[in-house]
Amino acid sequence: MIELALRQSMRCLVVAGVLFGWMVTSSTASAGDASAGSSVFKTECSECHSVKEGRNKKGPSLFGVVGRAAGTIPDYSYSDALKQAHWVWTADKLHSYLSQPAKQANPGTKMKYSGLTDPKQLDDLISYLSTIH
Amino acid sequence: MPSFLNRRAMRRPKRMRRSKLAYLWYGLAALLLFVSTSANAIPAYARQTGAACADCHAGAYGAGANGPGLTPYGMRFKLNGYTDTDGNGVKIPVAGQLVGTRAVPAQGQSTTELSEADLYLAGRVTDQIGGYVKIQTDNVGNNKYTTQLSDVDLRFVAKDLKLGNKEATFGVTVNNNPGFQDPVAALPAASQDGPPTVSGSLLNPSSSNTLSHRVIGASVYGLYDSDWYGEIGTYTSMPTSVQDHLGYSIGGDPGKLSDTGYFSFAYMKDLKSQFFSAGVVALTTKRQLPRTGPNEDLTDLGYDLTYQYLGNRDNIVQLAYFNILEQRRYASVPVSPSIPGLTAGERGIVHDQTASVSYTFKQSYGVTFAHMASTGTHDVVRFVPYGDPDTISNSFSVFWTPFGKDDSWTTIANIKIAATWFRFTKFNGSVTNVFGVPLGAPITNARDLDEFLLSASAAF
Repeated sequence: MIELALRQSMRCLVVAGVLFGWMVTSSTASAGDASAGSSVFKTECSECHSVKEGRNKKGPSLFGVVGRAAGTIPDYSYSDALKQAHWVWTADKLHSYLSQPAKQANPGTKMKYSGLTDPKQLDDLISYLSTIH
Repeated sequence: MPSFLNRRAMRRPKRMRRSKLAYLWYGLAALLLFVSTSANAIPAYARQTGAACADCHAGAYGAGANGPGLTPYGMRFKLNGYTDTDGNGVKIPVAGQLVGTRAVPAQGQSTTELSEADLYLAGRVTDQIGGYVKIQTDNVGNNKYTTQLSDVDLRFVAKDLKLGNKEATFGVTVNNNPGFQDPVAALPAASQDGPPTVSGSLLNPSSSNTLSHRVIGASVYGLYDSDWYGEIGTYTSMPTSVQDHLGYSIGGDPGKLSDTGYFSFAYMKDLKSQFFSAGVVALTTKRQLPRTGPNEDLTDLGYDLTYQYLGNRDNIVQLAYFNILEQRRYASVPVSPSIPGLTAGERGIVHDQTASVSYTFKQSYGVTFAHMASTGTHDVVRFVPYGDPDTISNSFSVFWTPFGKDDSWTTIANIKIAATWFRFTKFNGSVTNVFGVPLGAPITNARDLDEFLLSASAAF
């Protein structure tokens, strides 16, 4: 019984964490311009990622990425590195991840990206991704 | 990869009675033209990668009449041996294309026909092996068709390597068209805009006795730190019996090649919203043509420059220029049949250049202009009647391609409507009477070689 209660508590914590991440994301995302972020997405991301639900390219679909636990799209073949990352794509996490080379942010990842160093573009991009739900 | 004018030339025998010489040259000129409206975006690749055609090509069906118009992402796909995938199961690496064409030449009859049907075997075999093979069937008139093995590029690649602290990719390409493997697709075998010519370079598929599709070769290549590209390889011509089996007439045999080397080196920079590259290329060989004859020495030295403004892909501008200089030491020194004591030069130079600019709006609407020049050393014996092989031409093309983009109804099939105008300002060293026929015979001026083409293509 105690074990079951602990499991339920853990699940609640994870769900709460995801929700909290999404809320934080929403507030942080408002700093950027989602419309401008759409252009940034086309320039920086669209060759490897689609924002359509269920459509994977070389990289997984980014539909609903903000607030999503990493490595959890069922029909995409993630690297072991991302499967074992155990983080949620909050706005802050995306900000940190995308501001540096992907191989540095997550050693062993399949993703090849040199990073987006322009802070405004990064805010705009994350703002845009927050609208994709 | 025959052009529409090529097919027009094949249908010309009845008219040869009017002026055999003129139309022989006319037919030759048309055969030498290489500008094609063939597909470049291969739906099999879209199915394999989950990407849209427009991710690899500026226009979602290639960039109009002037080649594939590869984006930096498309270049990386090619360098990675056509093996990139969405990781979602095995896809059948097969695609097809049908092309219908309305051809309106400046002289001669207009035609409307199903002009081309193609089969592509294109895609990954394993994570390290992939390729591109095109089998092309052309309508040569009177409901007759010829099938040829067109471009082949089979690759083995080792990806994601480290050299020092930098990323590196190494690969091997086996191909049948020197320059087709060029990752930037700036060389004429890949850009499909080699200048029409009466005496072009080895690297220009429009040249007579071209190496294109009649040789087989292998190169090793490497990409260092995403920016530096180098390649070294060799080619040999296929036996004439094999050329025949692959659909090519023995009369176009490139001859027996020996001591053949291919070298390429380039710097390319992908800035996401912009791209530029600068490359050099060399191809050298000794050739016996005919195969039992003496050797001639041929060395091509060239460079190419490209620039792309990509932005957010709504407005894409692509500029490209190549310049190939061929040094020749001829196998023989013929004597002039008409001027006693005059002999041809022992050495010569030919020069092929193309400059092109393309603009693509929303990856759907495009316009392309290309200026092409093939020139050479003055030689009255070799280049009759004017002593100059100079041929100057240009093409202007507009196209519309509705699908093949991320937000399209379908991203794995496509159609294209294109209109292209080919225009000659000089041919065979002259603007008028380009074949130098005597008074009273029908004269062909350079502008008489112009042609307007309207085509509809479907790839699936």
